[in-house]
Amino acid sequence: MITRQVTVRNKAGVHTRPASMIVREAARFDAEFFIRKDGYEINGKSIIGVMTLAAEQGATLDLLFEGEDEEAAADALEALFERGFGEPI
Amino acid sequence: MNDTPTPPDAVRPEIRVEGIGVAPGVAVGPAYLFAAGAYQARPEDMSADDVEAELERFERAVARSERELKKIAVVAHQKLGDNSAGIFDAQKLVLRDSQFYDAVVERVREHGSGAGWAVQTVLAEHRRRLEASPNAALRERAADFLDVQNRVLRNLQQGRAVSRIDPNRVVVAENLTAADILLFSRRGVLGVVLDFGGPTSHVSIMARALGVPAVVSLHGLAEHVQPDDVLVVDGFSGTVIVNPDAETLERAERKAARFDAIAADRDSLRDSPSETGDGHRVGLQANVEFREEFPLLHEYGAEGVGLFRTEMLFLTQGRALDEDQQYEVYRDAVVAAAPHAVTFRLLDLGGDKVLPMSRRESNPFLGWRGLRILLDKPDLLRPQLRAVLRAAAAAPHDAPPKVLLPMVSGIEQVRAFRRTFQAVCADLEAEGLPHRAEVPLGIMVEVPSVALQADLFARNVDFFSIGTNDLTQFTLAVDRGNDLVAGLYRELHPAVLGLVAETVRAAKAVGVPVSVCGEVAADPRVTPLLVGLGVDTLSASPAYLTLVKRVVRAFTMDEAEDLARRALRQPDADAVRRLLEYFLACHNRDLAELLGLDEPDGGLARRIADRMADEPVD
Repeated sequence: MITRQVTVRNKAGVHTRPASMIVREAARFDAEFFIRKDGYEINGKSIIGVMTLAAEQGATLDLLFEGEDEEAAADALEALFERGFGEPI
Repeated sequence: MNDTPTPPDAVRPEIRVEGIGVAPGVAVGPAYLFAAGAYQARPEDMSADDVEAELERFERAVARSERELKKIAVVAHQKLGDNSAGIFDAQKLVLRDSQFYDAVVERVREHGSGAGWAVQTVLAEHRRRLEASPNAALRERAADFLDVQNRVLRNLQQGRAVSRIDPNRVVVAENLTAADILLFSRRGVLGVVLDFGGPTSHVSIMARALGVPAVVSLHGLAEHVQPDDVLVVDGFSGTVIVNPDAETLERAERKAARFDAIAADRDSLRDSPSETGDGHRVGLQANVEFREEFPLLHEYGAEGVGLFRTEMLFLTQGRALDEDQQYEVYRDAVVAAAPHAVTFRLLDLGGDKVLPMSRRESNPFLGWRGLRILLDKPDLLRPQLRAVLRAAAAAPHDAPPKVLLPMVSGIEQVRAFRRTFQAVCADLEAEGLPHRAEVPLGIMVEVPSVALQADLFARNVDFFSIGTNDLTQFTLAVDRGNDLVAGLYRELHPAVLGLVAETVRAAKAVGVPVSVCGEVAADPRVTPLLVGLGVDTLSASPAYLTLVKRVVRAFTMDEAEDLARRALRQPDADAVRRLLEYFLACHNRDLAELLGLDEPDGGLARRIADRMADEPVD
């Protein structure tokens, strides 16, 4: 089980498009993936879960990974946040 | 204890409900309660076998929804950019999300609930959670869940046993899809009565085109009707009567018979010329949206298509059609209408159909619509224009299709359009594709600025088409869809009539033909007024053309012009309406009675004739 902390960098925050990017990226790995914000935890592989997350620019999130490929998964998701989902920062 | 005997089989009382009549005709018959409704789902009790079948049905509906969303996402990526496309991607992901899919499966298995009900319940929970959020962005996402719900429920409905219905009944439902009404019409249904819907909803348009009397917007009638109750459906007045008493029933059956007689007249009338009593020609064309309506052009004697609402193709498919797909439909239309012409109104889409939900306009009615979208989005305009010009090659030489621009508000838009038009023609020429570049170009007159600048526009286009629906809304500042003010929406308002008169005057000065394609074109009460104002052509849903032609043949041009002059002098819409009803009662008793101006002894007609003789005309 590993944890990475990320900050939401893009202007528009985690709206619907980043949400689907997160879920699709996480689906590439076997590891379980959860996102925690303000004590509220959702399944990062569930679009319904991610869609209930309100994360605006500047928000800090904890990403939790558990599984064989947890390192690779963590790197990939961290990079996604780092890129600001390819949107204006 | 008092043992009062209950009266045997207490007679159910007659109930009269007013809705909106959207398809002409009068039907009398027993009710058929179509309980399924397009997007409703109710819990059902099922056996174990049913459970597996239900789960299979659910999987098929989900798979179909996935395919649809995939296609839409592709188009959205191309036309609207990644943000909008992202929404469809997300909706697609919802379909396979265990919090949706597995949750539904569990409900069907554990609770014996129907798939539709389970879908609705599961998504309602997620929606409620989002709707309760203080965050506006999250609240908006609830709409995405509603979209997914509607899509899956719609796909679940396909293959429902609509074929179970018996003919010669009046269908009562909360709502229907256009596909439902097509099926019902083939099964011999007498009429349709719906809780929801309006005159321009898809199902209303189909009912009109198919000649099935229909009344919509009855808001909860379905609850009060029991199977086999007798219903009277008056598609003219919008009245529905449940369990008519003997007298009402007799009147209704007489009306229905009269309508049938007029409809039967259709064949002989179709071949009679569309001209007034003194030989003045009035063009009668059809408003068309769907392929299914093409055969109706000849059936009802339409002189071509006065308005082809091309956006309906896109809206019913739920996606943009590419150039070739559009070309196929337009070419078929042109061939079906021959030897007459087809007027293609370019996509009259509202921003709500093109923009992602996150960018909803706060005032879409006055917003990014029609030509405004087309000029901003050449990737929508060009393929359509190319498709129309290519289809023009298949038209009769002396009846080329016409191009009609929607929602014009200023001359600069016409000029900008012409530039694109020329570029498209040059492309087609260079590519060597068969096409025709000399096609008439006209504009919708629906924004008051155009009517007020009619002289300028008349010098710059080949024809006018007056969209009285929107012209009325814009001129009177009324949203007819707003229950609070819908009563103020009056096409007969003298101010609106004045703009029509002004438009016609300017057009006639330079020999530009004018047609009216709004709902009033289909209203036989208004026919003499429009003709008297100088309108050259009326374009309406095919099923109305018979009635309109009948009225046209019943008066002379002098009488119509006199009527128009009087109408323009009236202070308000009610006064105009009374004038028109009197005129109709004088000239076409059958129709007057059919339309509810009941005066079997002719007394009303005599009073009118007297009154019209008395009124001075300046």
